[in-house]
Order: sequence, then C-alpha cells, then structure tokens
Amino acid sequence: MTMLRVRDVTVRFGGIVALDNVSLDLNRGEILGLIGPNGAGKTTMFNCISGVIRPDGGSMYFDTHALTYAPPHVRARLGIARTFQNLQLWGSMTVEENLMTPMDALGRRNTFSDALYLPFSAYAERASIERARAILHVLDLTPYRRTKAGDLPAGIQRRVEIARALAMRPRLLLLDEPAAGLDAQETARLGELLRAVRERFHVSMLLVDHDMSLVMRVCDYVYVLDFGKMLAKGQPASIRNDPKVIAAYLGEESKKLAEDVETVAATRRDELPLLQVDDLAAGYGGLEVIRDVDLMVRPGEVVACIGANGAGKTTTLRAISGMIHPRAGRITFAGKKIAGASPEGIARLGLIHIPEGRGLFPTISVEDTLRLVSNTAGVEVDISAAFELFPRLRERGHQLVGTLSGGEQQMVALARAILSRPRLVMIDEMSQGLAPTVVRQLFEIIRVFREQGIAVLLVEQFVESALDVADRAYVFEHGTIGLSGSAAELRSDRKLVAGSYLGTAVDEAPMARANGNGNGHRIDPSLLELMSVRVPAKLKRALEQRAETEGRGAGALAVELLGKVDEQ
Amino acid sequence: MTSTSKLMVRVALTLVAFTVLARIPAGFDVGFKFDAALAVIWAFGLLSLVLLTGYVGQISLCQATFAGVGAYGAGMMVSSFHADYLVAVVVGVAAAFALGVVVGLPALRLRGITLAIVTLGIALVFDRYVFQDHAFEWFTGGSGGWRVGEANVFGLRMDSSAHLMAAYVVLLALFCLVALLMVNLHDSGAGRRFRAIRDSELAAATMGVDLTRYKLLAFGLSAAIAGLGGAFYPLVAGSVSPQPFWLFTSLQFAAIAVLMGVRYVPAAALGGVFMAVVPDVLTRFGHGTFLGHQYDISYDWFSIAVGVLLIIQLIVLPDGVWGDIRNRVHHAWAAATAIGTRKVKVA
Repeated sequence: MTMLRVRDVTVRFGGIVALDNVSLDLNRGEILGLIGPNGAGKTTMFNCISGVIRPDGGSMYFDTHALTYAPPHVRARLGIARTFQNLQLWGSMTVEENLMTPMDALGRRNTFSDALYLPFSAYAERASIERARAILHVLDLTPYRRTKAGDLPAGIQRRVEIARALAMRPRLLLLDEPAAGLDAQETARLGELLRAVRERFHVSMLLVDHDMSLVMRVCDYVYVLDFGKMLAKGQPASIRNDPKVIAAYLGEESKKLAEDVETVAATRRDELPLLQVDDLAAGYGGLEVIRDVDLMVRPGEVVACIGANGAGKTTTLRAISGMIHPRAGRITFAGKKIAGASPEGIARLGLIHIPEGRGLFPTISVEDTLRLVSNTAGVEVDISAAFELFPRLRERGHQLVGTLSGGEQQMVALARAILSRPRLVMIDEMSQGLAPTVVRQLFEIIRVFREQGIAVLLVEQFVESALDVADRAYVFEHGTIGLSGSAAELRSDRKLVAGSYLGTAVDEAPMARANGNGNGHRIDPSLLELMSVRVPAKLKRALEQRAETEGRGAGALAVELLGKVDEQ
Repeated sequence: MTSTSKLMVRVALTLVAFTVLARIPAGFDVGFKFDAALAVIWAFGLLSLVLLTGYVGQISLCQATFAGVGAYGAGMMVSSFHADYLVAVVVGVAAAFALGVVVGLPALRLRGITLAIVTLGIALVFDRYVFQDHAFEWFTGGSGGWRVGEANVFGLRMDSSAHLMAAYVVLLALFCLVALLMVNLHDSGAGRRFRAIRDSELAAATMGVDLTRYKLLAFGLSAAIAGLGGAFYPLVAGSVSPQPFWLFTSLQFAAIAVLMGVRYVPAAALGGVFMAVVPDVLTRFGHGTFLGHQYDISYDWFSIAVGVLLIIQLIVLPDGVWGDIRNRVHHAWAAATAIGTRKVKVA
C-alpha cells in the first residue's frame, strides 16, 4: 500500500531547476533508495518531504494527508522523521536530551507545568527517559548517554541522528547519507541496523546514499535522480546494470594501476624524506587523540592514512599543518622543524592542507578563489593552468563556490592547492559525500599530482581507491599507527590489516557483536595482541625499517620477534 | 541524582541566597538601598536575556524597552487610576509580554545580525518617539517623566524613600522565584525545546518543535521577565522617566549578560549588582586625593570599563565570568574526587 505519494514536484532556486516534475511512491514497510550524482536534487527532495522548503509545483500526500502546505512540525507529528547529511544534532545537549526533545515535543507538554516541575511533567519526563534509554540500548549508544552530542566523533553522531529520528516513533524515516564518512565495516553494520530497525520499529524508509554497497544491500526498490529528473527506477539488481545509470552515476570500474605504483615506490626508497614526523602527540582540551605517531613522506610520494573513524587521522593532519598545536614530538618538513609553527608559515613552505569540508569560501567566485593564491604566494600566479587541469571549472569561473556541487568544490580546492606550487598536499576525506564517478575523477587527479612531483598525504575512507593510488599507507588504530607498509603489500596482506578496514565482504551480523570499544569496530585479534604490548616508538621505527628492508609487513615481523622472545 | 532531589537542592540554595541577600543592604544608607533595589531590577533585565539568548539563542537589543514598558504601565496604573500596586505590576508585565510577542514576529524570519538591527530599531523608536516624544506626552510625561508619589500595596501605603527596604525584599523574593523557575525550565522538556531551537532550528522544526509558537513564547516570556523588574521601578524610584530605559541600557544589558555568562541564571544576579553598584561607587568615591595625587573617575568610566572587560572576558573567559568560574570549579571538583580512580578515556 502506498504510504508516501509525491506527484510532479518541481523546485526552482533562482534560474536553476533543482527538481523537475519528479514523482515517487513509497509503500508501507519498504526501504526505498534514492541515488544520483551530486547536485541531482536528492537532498532537495528530502527537504520537500520534510517541509524545510516548499515546492514550486506538484503535490505530496502522506497516507490521506496532503503535505504540500504543512509546516515541518506538523509533518513530524504525522510520523515523518529525518536525519541530516550535514549533522544537525543539538550539540550542547547530551545524547539523551537529544532523544528526549522530539519525544516531548510531539507529546502534550506544557511550558509552565515543565518549569514548575508539576507531577504531570515529572511523570512524562520519566517516561521519556525510559524510552530514550531503550532506543540508545538498541543502537549501542548507551555509553554516550550523558556525553554532549557535539563532542562525539562524526560516525557516532550519525548513529545518534538515527536514534533521535527513531525517538519520534516515525512511520517514515528519511535518511540523508547515513553512511557518509563510515568505513566499509561500519557501513555494513549500518545496513544491518537499518534492516533491524525496520523489523523492530515497523518503519518505512527513504534512503539517500552514495555508498552503493549499502543501497544495493538494504533497498527494496531504487529511484535514480539526475539533474533534477527521474532517470530510472527499479529493483537494485536491474539498476546496477542499467546502462543509463552506469553512464550518469556509477561509472566504469576503475583500472588498477598497482604494478605501476610498485615501480614508482621502488625508485623512491633512497630519497631523503620530505616530511618526517616523530612521536607526535596532539589532542583537544582534556582529550589526547593521537600519541606516538611516526610517519614519513618522501618527495613525490603518495601516502594514504587509513583507519576507523576517530582513530586520529584528521587530528594528525591538523597537527602537521599547524591548525592545532602538537603536544609532543618533532615534525620536519623539507629540512625545517615545523612543530608548533603557525599554519600560514607552514603553508608558505609548500605544505598545503585541504581540510575535511574543503575549506573554501562559499561567497567568492571560482576565479577569485584561484586568484587569491597569488596573494598568499606573493607572486602573480597564472590561473589558466588550473583550468587546463579542470576544464569544467573554466565554464564555472564566475559562479560562486558555494553554488557548485560537492565534486566541483573539491576540484576548486585541488586546483587552488596545485596553483600554489606545493611540495606536499594533505587531503582529508576527499571523497566524502561524492558520487562514484566524481570520486574516480578526483583519484585520477591524485595521479596527476604525482606526475608533477607533488607528494600527497591522503586521509580516506574509501580504502580500496586510496590503496590503488598510493605508494605506501599507514593504518591508524586508537590514536596511533598500528601498521604501515607499501600499498600493494597492505592490499594483498589483508589479514594483517584489521578486518575492519579492507573487509568489503562482511560475514556476520555485526549488531550483536558490538564490542564496546568506542566505535564498535571489530579488530583483528592479532593486531589487538600487538597493540596491547605498547612498543616504544624507537623500537617500532626500527622494526618498521627492518620490515621495509626485508620487504615484509611490520606486524608480521613483530609477531615473529615476539614469538622468539617467548621461546627464550 | 534524581530530578526531585535536584529540585530540593535548588530550592534550598535559593532560600539561603534569599536570606543572605535580603539582609545585606540593611546596614547601608538610602543610596545603597536604592542601588540594591535597582540591582534586582537590572538583574531581571539580564535574566530575560538568559532566557532569550542563553536558552533560545535569539538576539535582542531592546530588553530595556521591555523593562520600560513594564515601568510605564505600572506607573500609569498607580498615578492615573490609583490602582493597587499588585494590579499595576500585572498590567505592566502583561504590556511587556504583548510587546515581546510583537517583537518576536520579525524573529520568525530573521536571525543573527539582522534581528539585532531590528530590535535595536525598536529600542530606538521607543526611546525617542514613545517615551520622550511630545506626541505621547499626555501619557509618558515627556523627557522628564512624572512623579508617582504614594502607592498602595495590599491597601498599605508605601512611600518610595521610607519603604525602600521592603520594596527591595519583595523584588528579591520575586527574582529568586523567577530564577528558580528558569533553572527548572532549563532541564525540563520545554527548556530542551528552547535549546533545540538554539542549537539547530532546522532540526528542531523537523523533530516536531513548533518554531512559531516557541519563538513567540520565548520573546513574550523574556519581555515579561524584563517588564516585571521594570514594573517595580516606579515603586523604588518614586518616579518614571525615560532615562533608565533608553537605548544605551539595552546595549548594556547585552554587553553585561555576555560578560557574566549569558547561559547562566546566577550570572544575571551578578550582572545586576555590577550594573547598579559599580557606577554608584564610581560617582561617590571616584574622586578625591590618593597619595597626594588628585584623581577623578567619573561615571563615564563605567562604560569604558565594561567595554574593556568584555574584550578581556571574551579572550580569557569565553563562557562568561560566572560560566567559566563554574566550569573550572566543576573540573577541579571532578579531578579531586577522581583521585585514585583511573581516568577512563572516551573514544
């Protein structure tokens, strides 16, 4: 039976048609997928359904209710809940409070009775707390009950978003990119979770996500949007093979250049490191996020940092580029000590940091953004070089950066970086929230960087793509580096890298296996064993060097050496 | 700690604070007694910002106008209609609430700097064209205001100078009550809805919070709180005049609320004392000779001092004087009680 009917909805922003006569039907109990390239209008569709924006034409019905003119809180009352792509938790409130707010907003509560703490309010309060705890328990969020939502890592915030939406007792749940920023293992867990939620809470869902593994696994039916128009609809299996969809969105499978990478890596072994980081520690406030981080990037080398959410990858980049002050350790870049130096000073040495979210100015045009490079570089820079690399940006030269799609914005960020003639570019989560085709293009750009002799330090959730393009990689685990090695080695030696990182094939139901170690990642036992012995940084470095000369993984070597000690 | 025992602790703390504060001005001269009463009136103004800015995240630069409307409403009821002062206060508060809801209307569409400008405009309009203008002189008494004379409270005649202490105690009791309600409100369901609007309006609306209703309610309640303080001004000062409620007082409210910690109820009391007592101390003791040197620190220095303190505070104590000191005490307490137990790290 049709639960949500959307008929011929049109939305215009100025002259741009974001949605053009789009219709869709969602049946009760169904998980419906909505996919499409960046800027196709998926989030606009969500905003229409949840009432954040009003369509210029068309109509929407939820069961028997006409939605078109209902304000958002009325739709919430009808049972439509949503999560947000750019997390919209109430950051200064605890996780529990975040769940209780929609509960009592939808219940009949009274401001004066609340302020006076009358018996009615006290009773409703206790009932809300009970229900909030039950939901938190189901979603494995109980340990964070009293933590402020804003202090949590992004991956957990996404789970809290889902919990908060469930607190509304929704009948329809709109999920906007719930898997953004999650690694393969977490995404698999999320898929299980969504299916479990449907069974337990009897919720229908509309799911927008770029992670095809998630969409294909959980959705019953998939709609594909492209440039505001409905491109295709059908069962996941037929969508996957639809030539139109492949051309517009999924793209061809990327060619592996592993052998090529291997030779490049071999020739660079002897060069002096461009960036050398020893015993780095950093954190925020009372929290030490990373410690004993040692890493090194040689000139012209592409190095990937991979690992679970909250493992300290972003913090490491921030500490290197001077955005946060390192607490301990040495950082040498091009022969200069840069630990604790100002971010602009470090940038002037040729170390460019593209942060998560790209760090662009939304109200400045593309051309002006690129021209700003001349300003910081101190010499006139020819911006046409950037347009040769990114022809698409030439057409958009006069457009404001904020109006570009996510992929184009990332291109601007990369173009800006390359114009300043850097020696090392650090890119944080380049592919987050971008469509597969765009991601592929961006990874091609990384190869261009390498050809031009620019070293790249990459933080990436798409482990496979990252290892394809990288020479070497570091695996972060709980705030320090657990493993390192050549990309080819890590790709082939999957058992060494904890199952969570490369495990595209996930076997068991992860819901039941939440191990309470924070993010709920599953860690390879051998790695855990390794980590429980806190190896001094110097020893670890020696180990890694030896592993490198012997051409083996450091982890394997360590296990072997530890075994020898035991025998003695 | 359960909510009920928390409530008991709060009631007890409020009673202790009331008993202590009620006695302090007794030993001082009339001037300081007046300061004390004025401090509570200003504290009401700051408390109204704790609700509006601290809880709901809305900006207003016309809180003194709300207090002024309360004062004029109450004063008029006493002078023109010889009403009981209790009735006068109710009328003043109701007038302020109504104006607050009206001012809240633009806030449904505007936020941030635009809302600040609009409320600043409202403050300016009331300051120049209502409280002081000739057109309304029959009502407002023009720029000089008018004397209220004697007032009746429950049939008892109260003279402003003779019963200043009594007025102070009544005001303080009311302030303690409203402050207690405000603290309660913060942790309650309604408080969560208010804070949800502050943290993310978008999420609040889609999670079932009726933005129109709660924003207007917030503006109305906030104006009523400011108006409640203002309504006692005629009783305390014996007159009503535009000067205490002019534009600059509104700006001072905003500055001092931020200075003391706009999210904390006790900070409002702290700010009220600061606003009332410091200028008076400056005018009384700000000139004379010290070690043979002549010095003269006039009232004007107060504004400069507030500005400088605000800059220092934003750097050193970003959560306000009260907020940061409170947080530090909490941390120290947590650290002291955690000695011996191993620190557990969160993800």
